Amino acid sequence: MDKHNLVSNRRGKSNPRFKKEKSNFLQKNRAPKMGVKITIGLIVAILFVFPIIWMLFVSIKPDGFATTDPLSWFLPPYTFGNYINLLFDSLILRWLLNSLIVAVVTTILTLLLTSLAAYALSQMKFRFKYFIFIFFLLGLMIPGEATIIPLYEVAKSLNLLDSYSGLILPMIASPLGIIILKSFFDGVPKEVVESAIMDGCSHFKIYYKIVLPLSKPALAAIGIFTFIGSWNNFLWPFISILSEELYTLPVGLPVFNSAYTQTYVLPMTANAIASIPLLIAFLLFEKQIVKGISFTGIKG
Amino acid sequence: MQDMKAFLFILPFFVVYIIFTIFPVIKGLEMSLYDWNLVKKLEFVGLENYQKMFGDPHFWRTLWNTTLFVILTTPTMVLLSLGLALLANLNTRFKTIFRSSFFIPSILSVSVISFLVIFMLQPYNGFVNNFIQSIGINMEPFWMDDKVLSWVTIVMVTLWWTVGFNMILFLAGLQDIPESLYEASEIDGATGWQMFKYITLPQLVPIGRVIILLQILASYKVFAQILLITDGGPGGATRPLIQYIYEVGFTQNNLGYAAAMSYALFFILLILSIVQLKNQKQEEG
Repeated sequence: MDKHNLVSNRRGKSNPRFKKEKSNFLQKNRAPKMGVKITIGLIVAILFVFPIIWMLFVSIKPDGFATTDPLSWFLPPYTFGNYINLLFDSLILRWLLNSLIVAVVTTILTLLLTSLAAYALSQMKFRFKYFIFIFFLLGLMIPGEATIIPLYEVAKSLNLLDSYSGLILPMIASPLGIIILKSFFDGVPKEVVESAIMDGCSHFKIYYKIVLPLSKPALAAIGIFTFIGSWNNFLWPFISILSEELYTLPVGLPVFNSAYTQTYVLPMTANAIASIPLLIAFLLFEKQIVKGISFTGIKG
Repeated sequence: MQDMKAFLFILPFFVVYIIFTIFPVIKGLEMSLYDWNLVKKLEFVGLENYQKMFGDPHFWRTLWNTTLFVILTTPTMVLLSLGLALLANLNTRFKTIFRSSFFIPSILSVSVISFLVIFMLQPYNGFVNNFIQSIGINMEPFWMDDKVLSWVTIVMVTLWWTVGFNMILFLAGLQDIPESLYEASEIDGATGWQMFKYITLPQLVPIGRVIILLQILASYKVFAQILLITDGGPGGATRPLIQYIYEVGFTQNNLGYAAAMSYALFFILLILSIVQLKNQKQEEG
């Protein structure tokens, strides 16, 4: 009986006294080993972040700065002149805006289309339902990279090459989004939906007022991934966009980098400008991003 | 009536899905049977493009390069992501710092990471060469001009850039292992290594399998970082299949042949994703 109590106590995460004891115990017995692990962890963490830190330091060096002394990249003088130069005298602001517009619209449309279809597949009865669901699942097995050549022809015949819509439309029908949302919508209690129907609610109202608000975590996860995916998409904009004014950042940056190979400073500033919005977003939404990956990764 | 309503919900997705996902698969088949350039289709050539593909040394070479990339990155990726997940799962106050630092390169755009690496690895005035010289190693490696070194560069960059995602999957796996298993074995006097070997590893097998398959699937699509870092060089040593498809289609103006090779890639990826979906079905029971 005592032993049983002990075990259940140990399991109980809510017992603060036990937690304290456990961590003391760990510190006493495993302190040296733990120290080694933490040191390794810190070294690896520094190695991982270092190139990004270096990029940020290079971006605030005076234009044309060059050195063979690794340390002097990090020492003053600093200037924000490169940022001002690039933001006002190059297309980078335009590319940033393009990336933003495309990513935001792609995300909104993906969420809209997938949630509508997933709602019907989850909550409504209709003919060919199973067949349609399987048909959507097939899309999981069609890699965009392998259909990019015919996609180019399709976009060409629809007059979508070299346009925002051409960048957005091919990216918004996400079968993975359907699967994740459908399984999430399936978890909405049947009684809630049924009683809403009894009260004369239309399906659209149920979708909009009940199911969507209940599914915020799933929508957030899909939204974050669609946004990052679109922001960083390279192959399709690289092929389908011809005019410089319509470049997105990933396609624009290489032009930039190869035009200035003599000096690192301006290209690094361009790279920093492209990264800072996402770095900030990451620091703000880190928890949701991490949750989203474990959520979608396992399902998909 | 109910049917109509449901179809209205499904219609927007359905239309976009048909036009941009399903139709290109059929269109690709048609294109691969024609002599087809960037302007228009020229003439029906039957299976000629496929015949050409089987006899094309560049096709086999680039397919091998892509496969080599898969062989080099998959095991290293699994080990590294597991290692990082174990570090990020340690019960210390650095937990969040570890996880964020390991993940943060993943949010950068492929263009940014590529040029970051090019500038850092530049001979004579790149940070890395200057650094190894400043600590007394007198070497001037040409990271992008040597066959072996350029592969090392690409694999290392890819690991650094994409390991965060897999680490988080392993981390989720680690956190799903019931604490009671460790407690029971602690009472039985198991050492840390024994716990790792007999509890942690076996419990991570399912998620590990998912990670391996996703990794193989993703690596077969490698293109952008190689294009930007080595441009497939030196002498085509790192050129992946997708880059060759792109070049045939858009610089050699031969979309028909490019579509045929895309079909080969499609076929490989299809088999891999069927294996992956089967595996997942098994996981879910």
